[in-house]
Amino acid sequence: MAVETPTDYAAGEAAPSPERAAVPAGPPGYAEDNYLNHTKGLMSWLVTLDHKRIGMMYLVGVMSAFLLGGIFALLVRAELWTPGETIVTAETYNRFFTLHGAIMVFLFIIPSVPAALGNFVLPVMLGAKDVAFPRMNLASFYLWCGGAIFFLITLFRGSLDTGWTFYVPYSTSTETAVVTALTGVFILGFSSIFTGLNFIVTVHTMRPPGMEWFKMPLFLWAIYATSIIQVLATPVLAVTLLLLAVERTTGIGVFDPAYGGDPVLFQHFFWFYSHPAVYIMILPGFGIISELISTFSRKHIFGYRFIAYSSIAIALFGFLVWGHHMFTSGMSTVAAFVFSLLTFSVSIPSAIKVFNWLATMYKGNIWLATPMCYALSFIFLFTIGGLTGLHLGALATDIHLHDSYFVVSHFHYVMVGGSLVAFLGGLFYWWPKMTGKMYNDFWGKISALIVFLAFNLTFFPQFILGTKGMPRRYYNYVPEFQFWHQVSTVGAFMLGGGLLVAAVVLVHSLLRGKKAPANPWGAATLEWQCSSPPPHNNFDHPPTVGDPYALNRVVYDPDTRSYRQIDEFSNGGTPQQTAKV
Amino acid sequence: MSAAAPAPPTGESGLDPDRSHHSEHGDADGHGEHAHVHDPHSPHGHAHHFESWRQQFDAGKLGMWLFLAQEVLFFSGLFCLYAVYRSLHPEVWEYADRFLSVPHGAFNTAVLLFSSLTMAWGVRCAMLGQRIGLTGCIAATLFCAALFLGVKSFEYTEKAHLHILWAGATEEPVMGGTRYDTPLVDVTDQVAEAEASSLTFAERESAALEATDVTLGKISVGCAIVALVLMVGAGLCWKLKANGWMVGLAAGVLCAIGMLVGAEGSMLLAHEMHGDHAGGEHHDGEAHDGHVETAHEMLEAESDVEIPPDGIGQFFSIYYVMTGLHAVHILAGMVVLTWLMIRAYRGDFTPDYFGPVDFVGLYWHLVDLVWIYLFPLLYLIG
Repeated sequence: MAVETPTDYAAGEAAPSPERAAVPAGPPGYAEDNYLNHTKGLMSWLVTLDHKRIGMMYLVGVMSAFLLGGIFALLVRAELWTPGETIVTAETYNRFFTLHGAIMVFLFIIPSVPAALGNFVLPVMLGAKDVAFPRMNLASFYLWCGGAIFFLITLFRGSLDTGWTFYVPYSTSTETAVVTALTGVFILGFSSIFTGLNFIVTVHTMRPPGMEWFKMPLFLWAIYATSIIQVLATPVLAVTLLLLAVERTTGIGVFDPAYGGDPVLFQHFFWFYSHPAVYIMILPGFGIISELISTFSRKHIFGYRFIAYSSIAIALFGFLVWGHHMFTSGMSTVAAFVFSLLTFSVSIPSAIKVFNWLATMYKGNIWLATPMCYALSFIFLFTIGGLTGLHLGALATDIHLHDSYFVVSHFHYVMVGGSLVAFLGGLFYWWPKMTGKMYNDFWGKISALIVFLAFNLTFFPQFILGTKGMPRRYYNYVPEFQFWHQVSTVGAFMLGGGLLVAAVVLVHSLLRGKKAPANPWGAATLEWQCSSPPPHNNFDHPPTVGDPYALNRVVYDPDTRSYRQIDEFSNGGTPQQTAKV
Repeated sequence: MSAAAPAPPTGESGLDPDRSHHSEHGDADGHGEHAHVHDPHSPHGHAHHFESWRQQFDAGKLGMWLFLAQEVLFFSGLFCLYAVYRSLHPEVWEYADRFLSVPHGAFNTAVLLFSSLTMAWGVRCAMLGQRIGLTGCIAATLFCAALFLGVKSFEYTEKAHLHILWAGATEEPVMGGTRYDTPLVDVTDQVAEAEASSLTFAERESAALEATDVTLGKISVGCAIVALVLMVGAGLCWKLKANGWMVGLAAGVLCAIGMLVGAEGSMLLAHEMHGDHAGGEHHDGEAHDGHVETAHEMLEAESDVEIPPDGIGQFFSIYYVMTGLHAVHILAGMVVLTWLMIRAYRGDFTPDYFGPVDFVGLYWHLVDLVWIYLFPLLYLIG
């Protein structure tokens, strides 16, 4: 392993008091022979079993889906510039918001962090050579592609206008391509199950010696909790959509009231998956933020076990609250009361996380690098999203706010302000590891700032619209609402611009970026112990498993312009075990 | 976790010529340090990212249990539907149940239970390194699976001829519902025809049985042809010493014959129940003895007086969805069993490496278990 000569990257500029330690062999820097160029040719990528390459392919896939979903979002906002018809008809508008929702949920957010970032990071963070079932991992990616193809077919076969929730009886009577879209979601469900199953088994059986449960980085805890939901909730969606497809084609009368079926039963089935699914979307984001806050505050994470347990608690509570989507669908008072109570209980573990992040930052030495800017943005936006969730979980206010723009704004604060921002933070954090290239930190921060401001400009007005009574999914509105709609539309296009800046920063780094050192951020988790980008088998040297947040053991080394672990005996700390790889 | 896992898949036992002691006690401890030693004759090394056989086996097993958990959740949706609609319309359930033939269901239950036995036996053979025993056990399991589907195909065919179908195929949409697909069966005509012909249900049932006989006859001929072609293919492969293909084709022959036997056997059973070919003394005797109270006889006794409740179609919707998805799982199991049979015959599995047999076994037991619930919930209500 040739250690690359010092790069021009000025990692030390914001590094708090880098101290030198006399350590013999530092960690490797940029690796010339890495997973990206280990084998060559298109086929070496298409049939690869390397989790890192699969993660990269997923990344390209989900980003393409994100672009498509984003275009539909902008079309929706453009249409709402004026009341009545602005650019498209009402029917087309219905298709736009449906496709925006369905593509963003099923093709982008659900696979974004677990399948793209998680696939890349999880085994390396764990100190394993690969996930437990590499072939299943590849199959999961191709299933994702299959689902995406069905969505594309849907676009050209009459599209879809049911909303991403596929509520009956509209979905059994509309003439759009419901069954094609259902097939796509069904296939994507299996992709998700395969990923989750793989990760659970990997975490259970592939941990190297010394990697105990409570030495796992919190990102792994979050992914583990997410995987439990993926494995246990997704099959319920699969069978529900299968029944809906059969209902639509043959009329089995279990959901369709025309044959004695119960449409509310469909809602129960659907939300039994789809409420836990929102935790599939946000939990990995929590995991990323736990890593970022600790690393960039240069401080051990506060309340490690509380954060770890709270991830599991959210996963379990998440299964018990689906009924709060149906407070107005006709439900007994007792059931509504219980669901409301349980909904409030989910806020406890979520709040534990937020408080722990704040406590970690308290008296920390905060380094405002791009990932940290996204992480701070996340905490602000997620807190708003989480607290407005309580308005919707309360039975009385929900009657007023149900199906209004308040709901739209709430879940965008959680899904975009939370999941997407965390995904971007994670992407900027692991980008040097994934690609071996440093991006321009200044422009990265600018992108974070634009995204933060534009996001609030887009969605805060929607809280106001919602409380004033603007219903969601409506094509038309009263003239009084036009001002706030226009503010929101301006914000949406700015948000698109901010994301474009982020994309340009990342793509530019691929072409012109400086070579990344092994550990540019000074993090203590295992993925920073291997070179950037990681070699084919992840570790040329067995990683040293220790406390993942012992940042005082990581020092800056001006020779390699990288951080590295202090030798196990040099600081008089507890002995660390060396993993066998 | 499995009922019979005496021999952990560790290295040393593979070199041990006398393996009998493995079946007696689980000597799991003491294997840890030998985990890196594995049978040099084994055709499959553990995958590169695992440290040992043991780790690979444990990973596979945990993965399989998670997959089964996923399957349970998948079926749970259907059981939930069942519970909801049965509690809403108990009278429909009680009435509609009589159209399901208990003897056929019971036979299928027995077949699947037996197939679970052969599967478990196969896992044991794999642990003991008995190649032919393992291949035979898998073949028996496969045959049972085909037998099950044969019986099921009879049941579906007979119901189709009786126009006992799901809600959308037999009922008019209400509450302003609209259809965008043409109904599978033009029900109005069929019902009108049936009413006009003034046949009793029993007579129509006999007619349906005749029609079923014809349909199944065609299916059976098809099965026989498939079996014959596959047999010829297997013979050719045998000559060419292409053993894998030969075993695959032999598995196909087993499946075809199993389907054929299952379908024809059910036909005979049905005729026996109706007394068509059983002679007069049986026909009179059974009903009065009371020990064989068939669905048909119950119907004959009651159909003229009892008015069928509304919404029977919904019961059969759920019947078709539940048994249909179960049958899909049986089919998937047959594909995997065929693959396993080829590998078993080829000698891939050793006492060190039998994970796939164990995992497929777990899957098969789950599919069996689902049927164990379906049978009483659907057939034994009345």
